[in-house]
Amino acid sequence: MCMKQIIGEPGIDLSSDSKMDLKLTRNSESFHKPNSSNHNLNSFNQASQYFPNLSPTNFLSRAENLQQNLKTKSTNSFEPNLNSGMATQNPPLDWDPHAMLSNLSFLEQKIHEVQSLVQSIIDQQAEFSSRPSELATRQQLATADLTCIIIQLISTAGSLLPSIKNTLLSNNPALRQLVNPDFNNNLKCEGLIRNFPETARNSEYEDLLRNLDNEADWMKEPNPPPQSDIVDANPIDEHDLKESDDGDAEREHLPPGSYIVLQLEKEEILAPHTHFCVICGKGFKRDANLRMHMRGHGDEYKTPAALAKPSKEPGSDAHPVTRYSCPFVGCKRNKEHKKFQPLKTILCVKNHYKRSHCDKSYTCSRCHAKKFSVIADLKTHEKHCGRDKWQCSCGTTFSRKDKLFGHVALFQGHTPALPMDEVKASGSGQGNDDMTEDLGGYNGNFASEECLTSMDVKGIDESRAYFSPMNFDGFGALDEFGRGGFDLEDNPFAFIPSGFGQRSGDS
Amino acid sequence: MCDITAVLTVDLLAQVLDWLHDSRDLKSCRLVSRAFLQAERMHRRAIRALRLGPLPVLLRRYVGSLQSLDLSSCPSLDDSALSLSIPCPNNLRSVSLSRATGVTWRGLEVLASVCPRIEAIDISHCVGFGDREAAAVAKACWLKELRIDKCLNVTDVGLAKVAVGCSRLEKLGIKWCFEISDIGIDLLVKKCLELRELDISYLKVGNESLRSIASLSKLEDLALVGCEYIDDEGLYFLSNGNCSLQSIDISRCENVTSVGLTTLAEGQQRLRKINAGNCSPVLTSTFVSKLCTLGDTLIILKLDKLQLLASALEIVGKNCRNLLEIGLSKCNCVNDEGISWLVEGCTHLSTIDLTCCLLVTDKSLLSIATCCRGVKCLRLESCVLISEKGLDQIASCCTDLKEIDLTDCNVNDNALKCLSRCSELLVLKVGLCSGVSDIGLSFIGTNCSKLLELDLYRCTAITDDGLAAISNGCKRLKKLNLCYCNQISDTGLAHLQLEELSDLELRGMVRITSSGITAMAMGCRSLTQLDLKRCYSIDDAGMWALAQYTENLRQLTISYCTVTGLGLCHILGSLRCLQDVKMVHLSWVSIEGFELALRASCGKLKKVKLLGKLQDVLSSELLQTLQSRGCRIRWVNKPLVFKG
Repeated sequence: MCMKQIIGEPGIDLSSDSKMDLKLTRNSESFHKPNSSNHNLNSFNQASQYFPNLSPTNFLSRAENLQQNLKTKSTNSFEPNLNSGMATQNPPLDWDPHAMLSNLSFLEQKIHEVQSLVQSIIDQQAEFSSRPSELATRQQLATADLTCIIIQLISTAGSLLPSIKNTLLSNNPALRQLVNPDFNNNLKCEGLIRNFPETARNSEYEDLLRNLDNEADWMKEPNPPPQSDIVDANPIDEHDLKESDDGDAEREHLPPGSYIVLQLEKEEILAPHTHFCVICGKGFKRDANLRMHMRGHGDEYKTPAALAKPSKEPGSDAHPVTRYSCPFVGCKRNKEHKKFQPLKTILCVKNHYKRSHCDKSYTCSRCHAKKFSVIADLKTHEKHCGRDKWQCSCGTTFSRKDKLFGHVALFQGHTPALPMDEVKASGSGQGNDDMTEDLGGYNGNFASEECLTSMDVKGIDESRAYFSPMNFDGFGALDEFGRGGFDLEDNPFAFIPSGFGQRSGDS
Repeated sequence: MCDITAVLTVDLLAQVLDWLHDSRDLKSCRLVSRAFLQAERMHRRAIRALRLGPLPVLLRRYVGSLQSLDLSSCPSLDDSALSLSIPCPNNLRSVSLSRATGVTWRGLEVLASVCPRIEAIDISHCVGFGDREAAAVAKACWLKELRIDKCLNVTDVGLAKVAVGCSRLEKLGIKWCFEISDIGIDLLVKKCLELRELDISYLKVGNESLRSIASLSKLEDLALVGCEYIDDEGLYFLSNGNCSLQSIDISRCENVTSVGLTTLAEGQQRLRKINAGNCSPVLTSTFVSKLCTLGDTLIILKLDKLQLLASALEIVGKNCRNLLEIGLSKCNCVNDEGISWLVEGCTHLSTIDLTCCLLVTDKSLLSIATCCRGVKCLRLESCVLISEKGLDQIASCCTDLKEIDLTDCNVNDNALKCLSRCSELLVLKVGLCSGVSDIGLSFIGTNCSKLLELDLYRCTAITDDGLAAISNGCKRLKKLNLCYCNQISDTGLAHLQLEELSDLELRGMVRITSSGITAMAMGCRSLTQLDLKRCYSIDDAGMWALAQYTENLRQLTISYCTVTGLGLCHILGSLRCLQDVKMVHLSWVSIEGFELALRASCGKLKKVKLLGKLQDVLSSELLQTLQSRGCRIRWVNKPLVFKG
């Protein structure tokens, strides 16, 4: 996402530079091979660490690293707002003093670099008059450096202030404009409104924001239509919000009618790829990956124009709030349902549809008992399968004996299960949408935290493994109540002990 | 002939039967007539089976009235035998399956399901039992009493099963279940609020368990023997808890000091029994002085191996006036002064244990005789300074004396002459007293006709005549120890015509031969334990006699005898109750002999002691069969010698 913005950035035209080209080629290789993307991103993470060692005079390599850094840092800083629900739940977890220290020292270094760069421009002003293109290059570099500093600064400060983070980092017009001159003010205001209710649970806030929402219309009308950023916004949502799966929409409290409802068809939902190469026919999940792939088909696809994001036709309307409906009639997520709860993103739709309305075709290779319809769920389960060796007669499993015994002490008739006991599933494995969706909601928040740490934004196939409902480590104290934690929003204790555990485990 | 039942109705008979406790008396009664048999049948509440064979018939006969069934002596009990022998429906309340290693969880589940009113189960010493067995037992939801001592594989999970399944439990023994931890105890306490008696001896639990246990409001009896992780802090929890303990056993808790005992005595004011033996070696007088606050309630106090000065005993004597039993075993500091202080106050003492109190002399016996006329049990092992003078005082004053232990006290015939005045004497131990001879025994034989147990270990002066005197006088003897009395020969042994004798030790009596054993076996039909180790002259003929006459023999030691394979096969094959055989150094038995004999015994034996070298030569199939039937083999590592 941000990477795309940088690459397609008309303001920083470095494509003539051979070194830069090499770098891009490397990147495109990684796009061709999704499996290697993890590795590639790991090296990105390290980028900030070796950054300060760079010689300030090595502009070219600095520019290259700047790009990396932008990618890394922006990924880092843009992440939390997408997962604001989690961020507000436990803000202290976001703050890492070590990271902040390294960020600050990086900033210091960076400022020195810009200083010397500008100094060199002043010193060599006479020479530049004869070579204006070189001067322009230097200026661009200085601008890019400054951008980088600003982003770094905001992201550093933002991690301290989770509520500000959301608004500042993603929605600060100035910042976006720096990164992307095509940035549209209007859209950001909308984003601000959209994000706020999640960050501030306070009802006063929500009321305030609903008012804001109503008043926001004035902004949409007069302003020019959103440009490329809108087009890009969707992929971002899709890929990064996908962790929030299918549960978040109901927490938004969007008034009915304030958003557009889209309903994808079953085939569309289950289709593995949506972007195909016109030359070789290879399918991709993301257009950016396709564009990178196209580079291999000839030089004409390497031009900045070809690599840039396809922009929407000018004149189209302001991007409306879009929510999704499940095509399964009777489902609570279907728009015909009385208590319709829309799904937030396409990825939510995909995960919801697979979990709730598809066969569970992935079987755990360890226990051969649990089945999943989303492969990421399976992977997460397999990571933990067999670890929870303490099981109650109700089917709930625990990683620690004292937790199990605490559970047994709490509920009448529950006993620890013997190793050979076969726990009969008394609850059905599927069909309970409420359960599944609540699960999804939790899962989403939770998963986004994982995403923050892993920074594995592009390697979605890999990173999805972290987002399965089976990953309960984050719940901590909720273990006391077994899987009942999922109903926490309604009533923490309003669950029937017998048999629910098995069901939630399956879903 | 007039029917006796016309005069003596069944109701009256039943009332008579209430007063009969001896099994032989009951047997005589059964044999009077059909009516008596019927009355006995209706009256009987408990059966202790010695053999499995007749059990189904017996149970069918008694099914209506039977409430208690003891199967702990049936060696070959397994699941199918268990489910076959228990009739359905029944009124069984209590079943003992102690040491029933052949039973599995399936059998226990059947038991729990066919005995709906069962209230007590004993599966102690089934060393292979674990959580699954505990879970099976837990299905008996009306259970009030459960013993799972030494079920080595029971963990917290099994205990939790029991705790959840049997929430009405009042008595629980989980001694030696080493896998149980604080977590399990905590859950038990939360689920079984009715617990009155709890035995967690030798468990590796800590103070947290005591913190949980202290909340049991009905707990009266707590045993914590050898809980090495419990210290004074745990006792502090107990003393401040909800429970009002009547009995506590904290012996062998190494980390408990007098501080903890003091707080316990302060907090638990209703304690009647305290066993603080073998705790920390030093005991300050503060604990003993705190005992005075317990005052009149305390009846049993055991302070073994603690350093008690005379002043401490004085405090006990002045304050605990209702004390019935005191244990001062191995208290090195106890002297005559202390004893006199003690007995002056505690005049009701009936049991005094002064084992290894080396400073005790005749003066102590004199003060005991003067103050505690009702003393019944006196343990004076290794009190080398006492003599017949002291015992004379005891015998003349304490006419109710039932048990006296004079092992290693160097007493002589005169002492026995004095003691023979105690006609109520039941247990007499004069082992290692080389001064005891036939003369002394003749006094005992003449006067102590009620004697049940006599220990003459290494009383080497005893000859055939002495044994004859005992055999003729003490017809009710159940236990007799003649080890290393090597002057006794077949003639003496032939005098042993003791119908009730069940336990006989003849170790190292080199003069006796098979003919003596044959004569003895014919006279002592009730033998269940026999030790013939190092009776070098006993051969196959002795085995034949044992196989023929002592059908109830359960435990047999024939190491070093000159038994051949044939005799071994015969005795192991014939004796149906045999459970435990020690047969080391049977140099006349070939490998095939061992193999065949063990095969012949298969299914019955629970414990075998064999030469270690045989481990390699005996067929693995046999060893596996033995072990799968619940037999434990102890291999002794000594050189293997073959003859013949």
